[in-house]
Amino acid sequence: MSDFEKLGIVVQFEFLKHVRRKRLYIILGIALFVEALVLILVPLLMTNGFPKDVLAMAALLTVGPSLAVIGAVFFAGDAIAGEYESKTGFLLFINPIKRVILWTGKYLASFLATAALIVFSYIIIMIALLAIYQQVPVELLKSFGLCLLYGGAVISVTFLFSAISKGSMGATVMTLLFIFVICGILQSVLLATGKPYWFILSSSGDAITAVISDMNRLIASLGIDTSHFGPMMENLKPLDIGLSIWGMIIYLVPCFIASLWISRRRQLS
Amino acid sequence: MSDAIIFEKLTKYYGDFLALDGLTLRVEEGANVGLLGPNGAGKSTTLKILCALIRPTSGKAYLDGIDVATQPEQALSHIGAIIETPEFYTYMTPVDNLSYFGRLRGMKGENLTKRIKEVIELVKLEDWSKVKIEKFSRGMKQRLALAQTLLHDPPILILDEPGLGLDPRGVVEFREIISSVGKNKTLFFASHQLSEVALICDKVAVIGEGKLLAYDSTKELEKKYQSLEDAYLKLTGGNVE
Repeated sequence: MSDFEKLGIVVQFEFLKHVRRKRLYIILGIALFVEALVLILVPLLMTNGFPKDVLAMAALLTVGPSLAVIGAVFFAGDAIAGEYESKTGFLLFINPIKRVILWTGKYLASFLATAALIVFSYIIIMIALLAIYQQVPVELLKSFGLCLLYGGAVISVTFLFSAISKGSMGATVMTLLFIFVICGILQSVLLATGKPYWFILSSSGDAITAVISDMNRLIASLGIDTSHFGPMMENLKPLDIGLSIWGMIIYLVPCFIASLWISRRRQLS
Repeated sequence: MSDAIIFEKLTKYYGDFLALDGLTLRVEEGANVGLLGPNGAGKSTTLKILCALIRPTSGKAYLDGIDVATQPEQALSHIGAIIETPEFYTYMTPVDNLSYFGRLRGMKGENLTKRIKEVIELVKLEDWSKVKIEKFSRGMKQRLALAQTLLHDPPILILDEPGLGLDPRGVVEFREIISSVGKNKTLFFASHQLSEVALICDKVAVIGEGKLLAYDSTKELEKKYQSLEDAYLKLTGGNVE
């Protein structure tokens, strides 16, 4: 049997595992809840109902798929560490399959589960925009592509933490801390000081929204007074989407390769 | 007859701790060999190296002449193994798990379905075949582990304390299954249960502090030391009244 056939078997089984677990449906529920919240709160809080600009509303709704991507952390967190922590590796690793094939299959299955959530979230956005504005902007497709790429990058980072962690909870917490705390702080500091920040993972994630409507246009559409934001708004330049794509690729590829390298050397004692 | 399992000067350090100290042992094809030794003697380390779960610090392990360290996939295709107390994916059923492991070993279609049914019946889990494993007791998981070991009908069986967690009836049933399938296979069987080893194995290897202390037929050891228990106690430094 070829390695490619084995890869297919691993992807199928791992995807089935995600489908059978509750976390897929919990993340899906959260993404749906957030979309519903945006659809309810925006007309309630804005004086003129939904914004006139369809792109502004589409940008606001991308919070759902962005959250779906964070769900990737929960799919991938235990992919490697879980086999060691829960001792399932004692059954899995004694099969005649290269570890590289095993981890690649797990990566692809996590990506497929995340992609399924992203697709579902964008279908909801499309339905909402069609219902409110009777149109779906083409920028939504670009946002979808960036969201898939961001999902791949987040899974790679999670895989790296999963490869070095003893337990899956540790891998999940470390990834969330990295994305929300470390990246968040770095991005704020670089933004406030006017330095480039495209290589920060969280800022690459912002491209999912920025490709639909940049921050200045979004703020203007919502009628927000920016005078009290101070130098932050002065330094706020539109995200360079091309650089953001590179920003995601520099996490996706090296983190995945590093996780394979570390996992191959890891022993189950 | 060729050797199914070979250990050559196998040494393993965990940090500063020497778990295996130049272990050399050959298990003939078709032999049923029990691996005995006190806690920390190196039994599990030996089996884990043989299953490519850990790497030796030095030395070699071979399965049917294939170097486990350099060609793990080829070597592992010759074995079925239970190491420690294995855990299955709890949110899946026995059929799901066995189907996955069977497919990874090249089984498919009608043959795989038929074989899964056979091994599930063999370990008496037919009423539980479509129940999620999260509902299983330790003994039931151990039965399923045996089913997984036999699924692809491998020529070599490597078993690490396979009776752990089983009730007395389970122990007897387990022994009967292993004895029956072991007739046509090479069996390498680590255990603390001397009586089980005596009933299942025709040869015994005793190790202590990572070294081979004795390797002989069960009958010879019983003849020389009066009983397998006495042999074990004398060889591993215990007092025999």
